[in-house]
Amino acid sequence: MDPILVTQGLNLVFAVAVLAVLALGLAVVFGLLGVLNLAHGEFIMVGAYCAWATTAAGLPYVAAIPLAIAVCGGLGLTVERWLIRPLYRRPFDTLVATWGLSLLLRKAAEAAFGLSFRNVAMPLPGTVRVLGTDYPGYRLLLIAISAAIVGGLMLWYRRSRTGLRIRAMVGNPDLAQAVGIRATRLAAGTFAAGTCLAGLGGVMIAPLVPLQPLMGLDFVLRSFFALVIGGLGSAVGLFAGSAVIGGVDSLVSALLDATWGYFAVLVVAILFLWRRPGGLFAR
Amino acid sequence: MRASLLLLGVVVALPFAAGDYWAYQIGLYFLYAAAATGLGLCWGGAGFLPLGQALFFGLAAYLAGFLMIRFEGWGPALLPVAVLAPALAGWAIGLAVFRRRGESGPYFSLITLALALLAYQIAINWNAVTGGFEGMKGIPGLPGLDDYTAGYYVAAAGLVTAIAIAAWLRAAPIGVLWRALAQNERRVQLLGFDTNRLKAAAFAASGLLAGIGGTLYAPQQGIVAPQLVGFELSAALVIWTAVGGRAALLGPAIGTIVVGSLGAELRDRVPGWEVLMAVFFIAVVIVLPQGLAGLAGRFPTPSRNGRRRSAIAAPARQLAGTAALTVENAEVRAGSVRILDRLSIAFDRPGIFCLIGPNGAGKTTTFNLLSGELKPAEGRVALGGRDIRTLAPHHLARAGIGRKLQIPSVFPDLGIADHLAIALWSGRTGVADLLRPRLHRWTSPMSIELQRRYPFLGDDRTAAELSHGERQILELAMAMVTEPRILLLDEPCAGLSPEETAEVIRLIRWAAGRLGNTIVIIEHDMALVRELAQSVHVLHSGSLLASGDIATIQANPAVRAVYVGAEK
Repeated sequence: MDPILVTQGLNLVFAVAVLAVLALGLAVVFGLLGVLNLAHGEFIMVGAYCAWATTAAGLPYVAAIPLAIAVCGGLGLTVERWLIRPLYRRPFDTLVATWGLSLLLRKAAEAAFGLSFRNVAMPLPGTVRVLGTDYPGYRLLLIAISAAIVGGLMLWYRRSRTGLRIRAMVGNPDLAQAVGIRATRLAAGTFAAGTCLAGLGGVMIAPLVPLQPLMGLDFVLRSFFALVIGGLGSAVGLFAGSAVIGGVDSLVSALLDATWGYFAVLVVAILFLWRRPGGLFAR
Repeated sequence: MRASLLLLGVVVALPFAAGDYWAYQIGLYFLYAAAATGLGLCWGGAGFLPLGQALFFGLAAYLAGFLMIRFEGWGPALLPVAVLAPALAGWAIGLAVFRRRGESGPYFSLITLALALLAYQIAINWNAVTGGFEGMKGIPGLPGLDDYTAGYYVAAAGLVTAIAIAAWLRAAPIGVLWRALAQNERRVQLLGFDTNRLKAAAFAASGLLAGIGGTLYAPQQGIVAPQLVGFELSAALVIWTAVGGRAALLGPAIGTIVVGSLGAELRDRVPGWEVLMAVFFIAVVIVLPQGLAGLAGRFPTPSRNGRRRSAIAAPARQLAGTAALTVENAEVRAGSVRILDRLSIAFDRPGIFCLIGPNGAGKTTTFNLLSGELKPAEGRVALGGRDIRTLAPHHLARAGIGRKLQIPSVFPDLGIADHLAIALWSGRTGVADLLRPRLHRWTSPMSIELQRRYPFLGDDRTAAELSHGERQILELAMAMVTEPRILLLDEPCAGLSPEETAEVIRLIRWAAGRLGNTIVIIEHDMALVRELAQSVHVLHSGSLLASGDIATIQANPAVRAVYVGAEK
């Protein structure tokens, strides 16, 4: 096989898989709680800085995972309690409030780390031979992890008792409360799960991108457009939406440049709003 | 009015009190304040939040800079182009995004944010025109206005113009409709207004005001940098607007001038100033949604009936008598469930029809079909022989189909006078009319008679302050003031006391006689049906089971079987 084609193909699969995992946390919180967390990208940024802190302290890269979960989970619970919970009945205001939160996290990161770019060393430097081409092992690992996280979470949501409780809460919060499901705690857990997923995503991509407090903005936009295109509520939709956004962006960026890639993503998102407002796989 | 004059005095006197340089610094925030005032029109007025408002400000600034450099001498005369360009862009973007399902939640906000980021990318990459990272430099000043004091007064004039435009729009019918659709968009559609266009107009207006600020910025500063279209200014505009008070006319401007110039002073002196501002912003959102202006008083204030000086007769509605509304073989499915199953039904003469049937028979679905909110998968819906399947709800409302929803859906924060005014504008106004404040003084014989029957309709209360019964009467009154050829009423007596029910029945009977039109009522209470209906249609499982006068229906064995539940 043509080695360039293999590399480009794997790059595309990689872009889609990573976007799917980055969008997953946003999908969980938006789909289940109806809260569009505009600070989602900033939780990815926080996760990435956790990875930076771990390597800076000389610890093995894997240690970044519990650190990111602890930091993003703790932040998520706090934010849910003091920011989201008072506003559940005012969806428009949650949008504004999480937007304020994104600003806060960004400015806090700016105060702590400054605006300069930082890099995280690649934890898995080697390459693997795939179909006659050398491809970075870390990227292959990420493709596998992304698929496992998305698939595992969906399976857990469909099969587990907690998943059942969450579905009950989403379907009818008052009734769920009446039959003894603690909806408040469950909602808090769901929100924190979303921010933890964002943090994990941040750890995963940290060695691949320059770290900067403003980095989250781009991720939240791409994730949201992927959700809009794929439709909420299924792993297939998540991957399909990520494929459309990731694919259009990579393709147009390769053919023209990154600005045009960005423009193409926007045009596609608006076209989808006209033609398929529920997404490719509407629930 | 007095407050505005006082503020104007402060603005004029500032350079004498604070010194030229300081005034010049504040003048810069006047320009941003013009943009924030526009943001307030969208967010506090029409209820949607653009997150990338710097796009308009920067677009105008770059255009103004380009025109001033490229057309030396002619430049100032061409500046109106730079002011109007963002308004046009806002209109186009608004139509494109709102077009589909009137989406004004997160989708709109994120598209506008993405557009601002895109504009930033273009600004830093298109070196030949924008000057890239360094910005567009060497923009000549406005001739004869290049000292600090003159610059300040130019900025002040720009802001005063922007606020005057905003004040006009808020007072005009379009401003009332913006506030109405922010509270209940569906209701505004059912009254015959294209809400997507109204929202696009709000976005265009915000572009115009940002355009004023941006256009004056370029010659005043002499340089336009990419930051002007980017994320940071967009974010700052939202904060300033929220802190000042998004729904008040002067709130966004005051927020911008106070917080903005404070920030410029303190950003470098107080460590963590910006973190502090973010925390403050979140606190405002949760505790004080109306911002600092909310501390000063309740916003927005409803129009007062008493303010109408002399009444003006509204033009008569140009609708020719009655028209038959017919449904033939309509199918509506939700997933695998058939909600309407080859339904054929006709309302083809004046008088009161009742639509009855057990729960789930498809009564409200039929209404949704008739008012254009639902399209049949198969079959035909026609008004006066004309196929109306492709028409949007606001078109059908203009064609004379009025509707009252099951739950009283009025606009809680609007005054009673505003409600009646909106109903009067329905079907009687063109686009340009919505900019004329004198339309507040419209009355029609119908509205005068209704106010005579129900004196509370002349009160200065908001709809939120009315009792349930009064709200039902208000909504019925609105429906009647639109003088529809066909009036659809979904359970008009639900939740009313016996006295209130009797009153509503009297009102419906009166309206039927007065308008000579067709009235279709969904009703569960057989006693009411007996009292009101000249003709009854019974729905069951999505199709028509029986029609006729009440005696025929009550004698019909199939109907009895359905109502006793003895079928199957």
